Amino acid sequence: MALFARTTKQTIIKIDEFFDNIDLGILVFREGIRAYIKGDTESFQRHLSKVDALENSADRLQREIENTMITHSILPQHREDVTKLIDEMDEIMDGIKSSLNEFDIEIPEIPECLFDNMISLAETSANAAEELIPAARAYFRAPHTVREKLLKVYYFESETDKISFSIKKKVFHEMHELDLAHKAHLRYIVHHIENISDLAQAAADMLSIMAVKVIL
Amino acid sequence: MILFFLMSGLFLGWSLGANDASNVFGSAVGSKMISFRKAAIIASVFVILGAVIQGAGTSKTLGKLGAVNALGGSFTVALAAAITVYMMTKFSLPVSTTQSIVGAIIGWNLFTGNPTDTSTLSKIVVTWVTGPVLGALFAVPLYILVSRFKKRAGIHMILFESYIKTSLIIVGAFAAYSLGANNIANVMGVFIPAFNLEEMNLGLFRLSSSQQLFLLGGLAIATGIITYSKKVMETVGSNIVNLTAEAALVTVLAESLVLFVFSSTALSNLLIKVGLPPIPMVPVSSSQVIVGCVIGIGLYKGARNINFRILGEIAVGWIATPVLAGLMSFFSLFIVRNIFNIYVGGKISPQSETLQVMTGTGDISQVMKYVILVIIITVVIATVYYYMLERKKSREFRKSEERFWKYIK
Repeated sequence: MALFARTTKQTIIKIDEFFDNIDLGILVFREGIRAYIKGDTESFQRHLSKVDALENSADRLQREIENTMITHSILPQHREDVTKLIDEMDEIMDGIKSSLNEFDIEIPEIPECLFDNMISLAETSANAAEELIPAARAYFRAPHTVREKLLKVYYFESETDKISFSIKKKVFHEMHELDLAHKAHLRYIVHHIENISDLAQAAADMLSIMAVKVIL
Repeated sequence: MILFFLMSGLFLGWSLGANDASNVFGSAVGSKMISFRKAAIIASVFVILGAVIQGAGTSKTLGKLGAVNALGGSFTVALAAAITVYMMTKFSLPVSTTQSIVGAIIGWNLFTGNPTDTSTLSKIVVTWVTGPVLGALFAVPLYILVSRFKKRAGIHMILFESYIKTSLIIVGAFAAYSLGANNIANVMGVFIPAFNLEEMNLGLFRLSSSQQLFLLGGLAIATGIITYSKKVMETVGSNIVNLTAEAALVTVLAESLVLFVFSSTALSNLLIKVGLPPIPMVPVSSSQVIVGCVIGIGLYKGARNINFRILGEIAVGWIATPVLAGLMSFFSLFIVRNIFNIYVGGKISPQSETLQVMTGTGDISQVMKYVILVIIITVVIATVYYYMLERKKSREFRKSEERFWKYIK
């Protein structure tokens, strides 16, 4: 029985560690985009390698959590939901990594007049993902508070949509000096940043249903 | 010869184990909190203990309903009850062994022309109603208590479930003990007046004639649990209502309390001392109690997720069981007496007691000693084998994980 309690506690620690990883990843994403836009290449590269390490660690933790939950029959009734949630959150981490990699590989040229908008877009998108973490943690301790915590995710996601829409409109309607390829590239980069909040929303939708299932 | 006559009782015990173990661990196995293997081992051990230590109280009550006074009669009555339970189990209906044996005994009374003790019968039938009601009454407040504790404590869901899992094992063991104590009368009760075995000295403790019968009955129940209870466990656990982990714990706890209340002579004596009426020592239908518990919780939660079709099937089983067992017993007795020419008992008059008692020689005690020794050795070997198997599995799993991460790198 002592052995079993140890496994339980280790699983709890691993889940918390996984959430910490995602939280840090979001922070690094935000700082990474800011560094890129400000032209601080060294700092951007540092953030990029940090995200890579965090993503690796998240993958390892995800696998360990899933293995332990199956082999020790932990949370048998909610196991499928929990593993799906972890998977959805890992998607956010993958999105962060792939987004920063796009910046590193494609080196998008961002016009100076869009600096603030881009930073704001990255901030809001990261905020949406960041607000998901306390809600996901609450699912395990106070499921009845999850839905109210998720409201902020939906708020930031819709704000991200608005900012992304305004950037795209500005690029295609006002910035006539840019050629179409440049415009399309900027739209692609905006999509990538916006994608983080979309992934957060998908996870939030799932978490919301999971919380209802636990409460009832 | 003794073992041959006991065959039908052992068959009934097997049926009881196959069917009623679901009432002890069904909710835990159905909600996937405990593996069937673990549940079967715990239930088997504690059913035997409950039967041998505390099985006497309820057996007396069943004896009053109809004192089957011939070995042929005991054999046939138990066989009729067993076949009925087996048939119901075959259709995955949680059937009551209590109702089956009561129906079969009444069938014997009718066949032999003996009157049925209506006061004992009404006492038993009343428990068929009070059992599930009491189960619901125990289950609902317990459920409220556990749910509120969970909500207020802010305890991590995984930790909470690990506590529930540990509690389920402890409570399940208690429930299995209570089931053995309460329901062994159904299995061996009809044989007690007809058997008189030599007291067995096992060094640390002694087993009386009835306790030896209870031990055999307990072993038969354990066999039933291990070999045939999985399907019924899954029916009870997951089909009536979707049970959460805490609901699974509460149903087992409430059920074990009801069974314990109706089989504890100590508790009954305590009530008499306080000046309250005694609790009737009656074999209660664990199937009915568990359904009462599940319905109680379901109603408290708003009755949205109760599967009423399954409840209907169970209710049909409740009515059909005693009627079927009674008819089966009556016609079996007719066949056994008229075709096989075996004496199945007769009218009991106060003046002439025609009890045909089979007195065991020392041989049966010797056989029992060997049986116990074989069981102990088997349990030890099985435990070691299981432990080694688990170790091997976890070692192989660890190696495969190491290989996976090595290739990923």
